[in-house]
Amino acid sequence: MNKTTAGTSSPLRILYLEDNPLIVFHIEQMIEDFGHVFVGALDSFSELQKQFPSLEIDGALIDIDLADGSTGPDAAAWLHERGIPSFFVTGQAQIAAEYGDVSLGVVSKPVSQNELATKIELFRESAGR
Amino acid sequence: MNVSDQRYESSALDHVLILAPYRKDADYLGRLLRDHDIGVRVGTQADDLDELLAASPGVLVATHEALTPGIIAAVAGHLQAQPSWSEIPIVVLLDRASRPEQVRAELGRVWPRARLLFYQRPVTTVELASGVQSALLARLRQRDVRDHIAKEIELRRELNHRVKNILASVTSIFEMTRRGATSMDAFAEDFRGRLGALDKVHSAVFRSEGDSTSISEIAQLTFDPYLLHGEDRIVAHGPPVVLSREPGTTLALCLHELATNAIKYGALSQPKGQVRFNWTLSDDDEPDLAIVWQEQGGPVVEEPTRAGYGTRYIRSALASIFGTKPLIVFDKAGLRCEASGPFSRVAGQPLTHGRVKPE
Repeated sequence: MNKTTAGTSSPLRILYLEDNPLIVFHIEQMIEDFGHVFVGALDSFSELQKQFPSLEIDGALIDIDLADGSTGPDAAAWLHERGIPSFFVTGQAQIAAEYGDVSLGVVSKPVSQNELATKIELFRESAGR
Repeated sequence: MNVSDQRYESSALDHVLILAPYRKDADYLGRLLRDHDIGVRVGTQADDLDELLAASPGVLVATHEALTPGIIAAVAGHLQAQPSWSEIPIVVLLDRASRPEQVRAELGRVWPRARLLFYQRPVTTVELASGVQSALLARLRQRDVRDHIAKEIELRRELNHRVKNILASVTSIFEMTRRGATSMDAFAEDFRGRLGALDKVHSAVFRSEGDSTSISEIAQLTFDPYLLHGEDRIVAHGPPVVLSREPGTTLALCLHELATNAIKYGALSQPKGQVRFNWTLSDDDEPDLAIVWQEQGGPVVEEPTRAGYGTRYIRSALASIFGTKPLIVFDKAGLRCEASGPFSRVAGQPLTHGRVKPE
């Protein structure tokens, strides 16, 4: 199987904001196969605000549409203020592009393994690890 | 109240704008309509007309004297700016001496997309009041049409969202099934089974009111294909509990994985093997929902060296819907899977935030 591993560098801790459990499953498996830590999935911006204090994360993957509306961009901005880098995982590239100043960019849906692996590595630079 | 607020307030009848340069006419018409509980505003000169039109009157009433080039042009502009659902009724009171056909033809040309209604003086109070009232009702119907159009746009948006979501789900199932597949045939069988489970729960959610489904229905539609010769190989039991769409779908897919695994390797691979699937609600103000899958009477269970699709999916999916990871125990006597979390996370209710709500 074509695995991309985190190599010798330390694993990154990734959070995923997505309200479709099947997509969560798919991404979770890929992240674990890369050798990173899948911290968990939250289905809304409000849940993120509630749980953030107890989370230890290096970066976040964010869907535009969540269980509490199109709050993905708000979540990205909120995390950006707290020094957490993020990517949008979405087919709506143009919406995501409007929020380029609060995120590192877009991982396009459906997600390819190589693209996800490459983009997650960018969290490392951003987090200074 | 600003203009847009007024535009979207459809419960009451709209107000009438009277266009009458002669103060006496304006007063007479205003009194007449107010006596019939019709809200009225009056324009006696062209200057303040734009503002009065911007307040979105439901019906215009114009005297013959009001049909000056300035007023005609202002009204024409207003008509042109109407949204597609709108055809504002305009009641025109013609002079006794005028030639109605001519005025009618002229106004029909300069005021397209208006419902023109002509009266020639002298006109009785009853006639005029009932004419204006019927015009206001016609206007109300137009606003109903507008509301239906808005609802349809919202439904189309929601439909698009759902189709995208289901395609994304199928893509994920495809990718994950492919990763675990050992042969093309095994892939086809697993993929078909998973899509079938998704299809069945979709139908169940669609049939029910409020976009939700009960656990017992999910259990029934998932286990029915496996009830061999009337024997209850899987006994499902629990109180009436209704789940919203996403958790319901996820639970159905998890039960599908557990059932197919039990048939291939677990309790249901043996004639005497059985499964109990129980769910309970705790007796709190904010109750927890707990589910337990317990197999017995099957072959001796050994923990697999590498977790397959089913186990990995169940771990991830139940964590998504309950907020905490499930417990999967490879007990020698039979596989056990337990999960629990706040019922409020999964409870069936009218659709979530920002989407279309059922009426």
